[in-house]
Amino acid sequence: MKTRIDDQSKPQTMIQEKYTKRYQNLKVAEALSNNHLYPFACNELSSIIDLGYSQLPKDLKAFIFRDCLSAFRLLPDMNTSAAVSAANLLVKSVESAFPKQKKNLAIVEFKQAKVALKRRTKSHDEHIDLPSLPQDILVHIFSFLDVYSLLSSSQVSRSWNQATSEGSLWRSLFDLHFSHKVSIHIHPGFDWREAFKNEYILYKSSKMLRSGRGYCSYCDSVVWHDNLRCPKKQCRLKSGKKPLDLMLTHQVVNYLLGTTSSSDESDSEDEAVRGLWAYPTLQ
Amino acid sequence: MSESDMAIIKPEMMKSYIWLETSDGSIQQVEQEVAMFCPLICHQALQKGGGSSKNNAISLPQKVNPAMLSLIFDYCRFHQLPGRSNKERKVYDEKFMRMDTKRLCELTSAADSLQLKPLVDLTSRALARIIEGKTPEEIREIFHLPDDLTEEEKLEPLKNTMDDPRIRLLNRLYAKKRKELKERAKLKSIEVEERVDERSVDDLLSFINGRDHKVVNTSKSKKKNKKRKEHKNGTCKVSNKDSHNLHSKQRSVDETSSSLGGVSNLHNIEDDIFSKKAEFEDGYIDDEIDPALKEMLDREVEDFARRLNSSWVLSVGQERQPVHFSINGNGDTRRLTGPAARHK
Repeated sequence: MKTRIDDQSKPQTMIQEKYTKRYQNLKVAEALSNNHLYPFACNELSSIIDLGYSQLPKDLKAFIFRDCLSAFRLLPDMNTSAAVSAANLLVKSVESAFPKQKKNLAIVEFKQAKVALKRRTKSHDEHIDLPSLPQDILVHIFSFLDVYSLLSSSQVSRSWNQATSEGSLWRSLFDLHFSHKVSIHIHPGFDWREAFKNEYILYKSSKMLRSGRGYCSYCDSVVWHDNLRCPKKQCRLKSGKKPLDLMLTHQVVNYLLGTTSSSDESDSEDEAVRGLWAYPTLQ
Repeated sequence: MSESDMAIIKPEMMKSYIWLETSDGSIQQVEQEVAMFCPLICHQALQKGGGSSKNNAISLPQKVNPAMLSLIFDYCRFHQLPGRSNKERKVYDEKFMRMDTKRLCELTSAADSLQLKPLVDLTSRALARIIEGKTPEEIREIFHLPDDLTEEEKLEPLKNTMDDPRIRLLNRLYAKKRKELKERAKLKSIEVEERVDERSVDDLLSFINGRDHKVVNTSKSKKKNKKRKEHKNGTCKVSNKDSHNLHSKQRSVDETSSSLGGVSNLHNIEDDIFSKKAEFEDGYIDDEIDPALKEMLDREVEDFARRLNSSWVLSVGQERQPVHFSINGNGDTRRLTGPAARHK
């Protein structure tokens, strides 16, 4: 006798597991303990909650709840303004979507975190004189940074500003972001930073970089990109110079939930793009 | 003695040591294979025969103090042993890097002066991880760096900010824009009153507007050109006198038409304008604008900076006659008569 197999005969638990598995593969929890990825992870959690908390299977809801709690618990360790804003956003999502009990637990956790943050004494007013690093070392350090951090660094002090104007830094960023899209004609005195900025604005990179996410075709997974590359070494070796396909947050949520909603980001792109070059932020 | 000889003899003899002198004058000896891990020491020892005795100690660069030296040698001691696996090395490195930022900076400088590239890489990466994702203010706090860039330099990172006429123009226009927005806010409230009390206080209003007009022009021309300073100062004094007259006039009007609520508002606004004028006479505006307004101003300046960058048509000559912003609102139209009006 032939038995027809159709979806409806699949037990409910298998479908639930599918979502839970996807969520675990997204590695949101791991990202929360990473200083740099914390704001990205919080924003993603917010989006997931905003876009579909009620539709989630029970197991997944539990995971999300757990990760929200750990996000708040880790907030005092992060201690950057980007982290604080991301956590604020998350608590707003929690307030609007979570059922009463969970909401209260989460908010309590958040408030404790805020108190702990306040308690952390900031710069201890010791007039410490840090040894000033020579320019070539600064350039070497900056060579490991992503574009946001590099722009932040350029606004720190005069010596750092000088170091960030080093052409090789912007050249490698340009290669990283745009070499597969654009071919340029170099001439002596070519300003790599200007070139980068122009392409950046043209390709609306600010929008694409906001999620911290990319899709790696080599390992067929959604990953937290490390300066546009897959964090896995094998994938990096295979892909060579080619960067990942960047993803927007709502695309990640769609992947998780299997939906096809469109983004309703109403922020003006121009402002965001302009904003990068004046006051870089992660939001 | 060649190096190969030393290698043969070593197991049989005691470990050989190299003598090193740090910047503070203290001399110490370190196992040879550990010290030789550092290219600088290696070079000095082999080519110049340094470090063979206490008197012949290799003097290390200034940035290497004893504390850093011992750290570096810990690192060297671990890594120079060929038998370590990659994983072991990695684990050691990660543990090694756990120190406060100050020491990390010192270590980077020291390693760099000893030309110990693997350690420089390691510390640089660690520092980069600290910098990642932080705002400039946060970075400044961590590294205790001075905030020695001007607003304009931060706005659009450029190299020769001093010589650039565009930057000087931007400086000027930034201040001017701030002032204009301040005035616009004040004039807007006058506007509102105007509409309400139009019929009854027509005369008074037109007089005040004429007043306004002069006041604003005065301040504007001061901003524009330092040559006109005397002329302007003269006008200021004149307008001061006028203002007193106006004040008394207005008071009488106030008493007679006290039923009109709006007039007293105008009165207050006038006060503001006069007090602001006093400010200008003292010099340039200080930065006591409330944060909300400042934010708006910042955004406006940002916008302007962008426009400035995208359409670069201003030449040096045009600096004297800055572009008039098209501000919506009746305040603007009233202002642009007389020498101040260039583009309308």
